[in-house]
Amino acid sequence: MSDSSENGRGRSPETPGGGRDPALALAALTKRYDDGVLALDEFDLTIEAGSFFGLLGPNGAGKTTLISAVCNLIRITGGQIRVFGEPHSTMLARRWIGLAEQDVNLDRFLDVRETLLYHGGYYGLTRAEAQRRAREMMDVFDLSAKAGTRAPKLSGGMRRRLLLARALMHEPRLVILDEPTASVDFELRLELWRYIRRLHGAGTTILLTTHYLEEAEELCEEIALIRGGRLIARDTAAGLREAYEADSLADVYVKAMGTG
Amino acid sequence: MIARTLERHRPLLWLTAREVLRVMKLWTQTVAAPVVSAFLFILVFGLSLGGRIRHIDGVDYKAFIVPGLVVMAMVQAAYSNNSSSVFQARFDRYIHDVLAAPMRNWQVNLGLSLGGAVRALLIGLCLLALAVPVTGVPVHQPLELCLAVALALALFSSLGLVVGIYAENFDHHMFVNNIVILPLTFLGGVFYSVNRLPSPWHELSHANPIFYLVQAVRYGFLGTADVPVGLALGVTAALAAAVVGWSAWLFGTGRRLKA
Repeated sequence: MSDSSENGRGRSPETPGGGRDPALALAALTKRYDDGVLALDEFDLTIEAGSFFGLLGPNGAGKTTLISAVCNLIRITGGQIRVFGEPHSTMLARRWIGLAEQDVNLDRFLDVRETLLYHGGYYGLTRAEAQRRAREMMDVFDLSAKAGTRAPKLSGGMRRRLLLARALMHEPRLVILDEPTASVDFELRLELWRYIRRLHGAGTTILLTTHYLEEAEELCEEIALIRGGRLIARDTAAGLREAYEADSLADVYVKAMGTG
Repeated sequence: MIARTLERHRPLLWLTAREVLRVMKLWTQTVAAPVVSAFLFILVFGLSLGGRIRHIDGVDYKAFIVPGLVVMAMVQAAYSNNSSSVFQARFDRYIHDVLAAPMRNWQVNLGLSLGGAVRALLIGLCLLALAVPVTGVPVHQPLELCLAVALALALFSSLGLVVGIYAENFDHHMFVNNIVILPLTFLGGVFYSVNRLPSPWHELSHANPIFYLVQAVRYGFLGTADVPVGLALGVTAALAAAVVGWSAWLFGTGRRLKA
């Protein structure tokens, strides 16, 4: 591996891992927290490159744990995670992932422009590259007017936009969105859907978790249902409806989770 | 060669820049306040007590207290900067942006550490600029002084990270500063020579680890100390190695940082 590839900037993201590898491959992924809670139990999942994949499940199902494991934010107990064929902890794999977390976790000391610039820097961008990309992101997400405003002074909607813009700063191949439209009004939700669709249209693989079933049905090509740290089912929305003999994804969810 | 090294460590440089930016954005709290506070100590104690205590070990009292007060301000700044920065980043979870990034564990450790070190150096330089004209404190052994300061910064920058990683609330960070660092520094011979203390206080002072740091810095400035400079630097280096190792272990394993 060349020096420059250590932060993932030496290999073209257009042909990650040779081009044939799935965007995400989890094999027997297990996470038991220190308090004994088993959040993921021998979890297997493969997400093909370029797909739009939804992850549905109730609170505590293991969705955020799965995402945190992929993004190196928790210590996994067992199993393997590969991102475009690379072990998830390598610098290359990290470079290929963009994460917008469920919580609004913005640096309180930085304004909008700095939030984007420093994120770009952490991912190996030069100052000129980071400045160019930050301008682009502020334009795309209508943040330019707030460029000098610190994160805590932004409205809830603006913070959500900034989270998404930050996740996309380094042009990741796999974008992970953990409930990106939680607590946002309907108008902004539609706007964010448009952004996300555009992103997917440009070839980016999307992994989305959401509690809004209509959002999953509207956006995702394939959906996985998880409960208690285990995969219950995965298919297209139509395939799930057929398999569960249900009229809507909501009915599928109720049947699969046993909450009816 | 330099360009390649810079490219390889670019994320580290950005993280360091972020930590320094935080210090500069809050300069009234992070730099000005500690400088004013320490300089007041120098003025009040040096000028008021200086009339009664003319010399200690042949050194003018005003100059005698400067090394201890400078190092006290510096180590408190290095510690509190890093513990609060890491604690806030953990509390608000924006540390995830750094932990998920393509950075080696040691780069994250070093980048976060350097913010406190830079802040402490700024404070030290400002204090010197003010104290030298007022007290006439000399720098007799610059090499030993630089070594002692480097060890102090490594020790307390890393201690700040460790406490910031373990802290459950802001009180924990304050507790270590107010109940451990500040008293040990005051009792480490900042204002007096421990050789003048009666037994058992004289012997007890030698059990205070910060005493050795104060003595190493004092030797750098004044060329004299209560213990041999080799011993003072050795004890400080051993402490620094232990705390730096502790910090490296936390970042290496992800314990407390990652669930």
